[in-house]
Amino acid sequence: MSASVSRRPVFGRRAWHFLSFGGPGTAVYVCFVLAPILISLGYSLTNYNPFRGETHFVGLDNYRVLLTDEEFLTSLKVTSILTAIVVIVPNVAGLAIAVLLDRQSWFFSSLRTVFFVPVVLSSVVVSVIWTRLLDNDGLINQTLRALGVDEPPGWLSDPDYALYSLGAILSWQMLGFCVVIYLAGLQHVPQELLEAASIDGAGPVRRFSRITWPLLAPALTINTVILLISAFKIFDHVQIITRGGPGTGTTATIAYNVLQTGFVANRQGFASAMAILMLVIIAVLSGVALKLLQRREVDL
Amino acid sequence: MRRRLLTLGMAVLLAAPTLAACEVGEPTTSAGKKEITFLVFETPNLTPQYWDAAIKRVTDKHPDITVKKLVSPDQDRTTYAKQLLSSGQFPDVMIAVSPAGFAEGGNLYAWTTEELKDFQFPTNGAIKGKVYQLPANTQTIPVVYYNKALFAKAGITGEPKTYADLLSAAQKLKANGITPFVTAGVHDSIGPLWAGILATEVYAKNPNWMHDRRAGKVKFCDPEFKSGAAKLAELARQGYLDPKDVSRDYAAGQQAFLDGKGAMYAMGNWLAGEVDKPTTKLHVGQFAWPADDGKAVIPAFTGGGLLVSAKAKNLEAAKTFALGFQLDKGNLDNSAKADGLFPAIKGYSPPSDVGAAYKLGYDLYAQGVAANAVVPAFGFEAGDDGMLPGVTAKWDSSAVDLVTGKKTPDQVCAFLDAEWAKAAT
Repeated sequence: MSASVSRRPVFGRRAWHFLSFGGPGTAVYVCFVLAPILISLGYSLTNYNPFRGETHFVGLDNYRVLLTDEEFLTSLKVTSILTAIVVIVPNVAGLAIAVLLDRQSWFFSSLRTVFFVPVVLSSVVVSVIWTRLLDNDGLINQTLRALGVDEPPGWLSDPDYALYSLGAILSWQMLGFCVVIYLAGLQHVPQELLEAASIDGAGPVRRFSRITWPLLAPALTINTVILLISAFKIFDHVQIITRGGPGTGTTATIAYNVLQTGFVANRQGFASAMAILMLVIIAVLSGVALKLLQRREVDL
Repeated sequence: MRRRLLTLGMAVLLAAPTLAACEVGEPTTSAGKKEITFLVFETPNLTPQYWDAAIKRVTDKHPDITVKKLVSPDQDRTTYAKQLLSSGQFPDVMIAVSPAGFAEGGNLYAWTTEELKDFQFPTNGAIKGKVYQLPANTQTIPVVYYNKALFAKAGITGEPKTYADLLSAAQKLKANGITPFVTAGVHDSIGPLWAGILATEVYAKNPNWMHDRRAGKVKFCDPEFKSGAAKLAELARQGYLDPKDVSRDYAAGQQAFLDGKGAMYAMGNWLAGEVDKPTTKLHVGQFAWPADDGKAVIPAFTGGGLLVSAKAKNLEAAKTFALGFQLDKGNLDNSAKADGLFPAIKGYSPPSDVGAAYKLGYDLYAQGVAANAVVPAFGFEAGDDGMLPGVTAKWDSSAVDLVTGKKTPDQVCAFLDAEWAKAAT
């Protein structure tokens, strides 16, 4: 009896600590993350159209239709290609640049800033800059013409190029992020290990492949997972640069398709199903990527 | 180490948008005044100054009303209005937003016959018999504007009267290294050109085509529409318009024509506003998109005016502002000069100091009215005369598919019929 009495104040104090420290954060999370997801989930089970009178429960019909909907499947393909580009290109290029910049001098510090600038820029600014550069009459094609290329590619207007141009722009913007993460990883590689390997006769390539690269595994994990999530939900660049075009669906990502279906065609129940499916795909992909990449991480 | 890196990664991602944050302004209101929100959109013709002056003209007459101007982030103000509606911020007054969907959902105020008494075509754009958008002005979509110097350079002496003449002119221009048609492709920028073709191929033969499509009597895969799709694809295949230009947006397309990057530009009559500016040095002529047999066909749309939210907090003030804005002589004159509009208001005649391009376009329209040759402008109709919600956007993107060769006319027609069926469910 006396023991249970003495526990109550401790429990009360803990509850108070939880409420005072964790409460506000939990409330924000519930209101602005969990609740909208649950509301969307609810809408996805209906034929909700704000411009029509009646809304009916349709069960999993929206999800069934989605799996055969040509527009959705095209946007899934577009999103997957973009994600592959955005995960691979900045990771590879970012690692190479980080290795080159991993030196202590004002010059390399300045270069780090230069590479990081695109990350800080708003996606709108980046989109406008690149639209101007890649336009048929833009600086890039003008330069190509000056160099004697009669018919330079339509970077944003040719359906065969537009998606890859978009991937290149996204990669350019995310490059600085990867560089910073890899640089932080490189600074945690113990110098004594590299020196010992050097004394044992290991060359730069061997030192990198046997010591640096394995120790950069956590950085690779972070970069891959964050790039994967960012790329899969990309919307703003598409909206500004190509509007899903040229033509129908050429660069329309799932997020872009959600907006078009929900706010242009007014099929908000169906658009909610798309959004929920996108959430599930991102969760599964990032979970799998995290598990696979964590396996090769080494603790010192 | 992973935890540290994760923390760093999250910090970087959180800091970047913060550093790139936009400025947010707080609206100010005067006590005792009735505030209304007004959604506008900006173009090279309709500048912030244009809107501010137009609003001020009305608020000067109605000092009890204050207006908070909302600007659509791009020209697609209808989609933006839907987003605002969904987030509970539907504007009190909007201009040139398509009423389809909003009206059926009970979100728009239906104007009474008495309130519409000053308009020339008071029933235009009706939805189930009710008018939600003030039928304020007529726009001819398209007019073919042409660069006189480039026509002369290619040895073209007269304006094309038939479609064969048009192709012949295009052929001559191309042979002289001149791009025959300036185009753009983002949003509805290529729509006016296709609307010209479809006016002669579809509406000239059946002015009720869209009503028949709604009733299921005709389809996009029928010969009339398919022929219109084939003509657009053929223009691109012949090299008379450059598929690479579809990455241009509306403003860039207009600038390309004004910069002399092509000889012809099929665009709404609002281009006259730009052509008539003293800064424009280009000598521009205009003609209607020619039919195969040379018969006059003038595609036009009357509507495009202000709409009022049925749930506006100050409904009376919103109505007063909308009608005041639309009927103000100064505003009408400015809309004619800046945006080339033909105000469809009883007793209104354009000011005498409008530019030459405006006068020419107005005469072209007047001749069309006299010859009973006015048909709807395909893709720009509204209300019961227009396509189902969402289909117009597919029609726009299909035009680009035809120009880039991504889809054949058969594929485009089948796609549009499928999208129509989807929108109807």
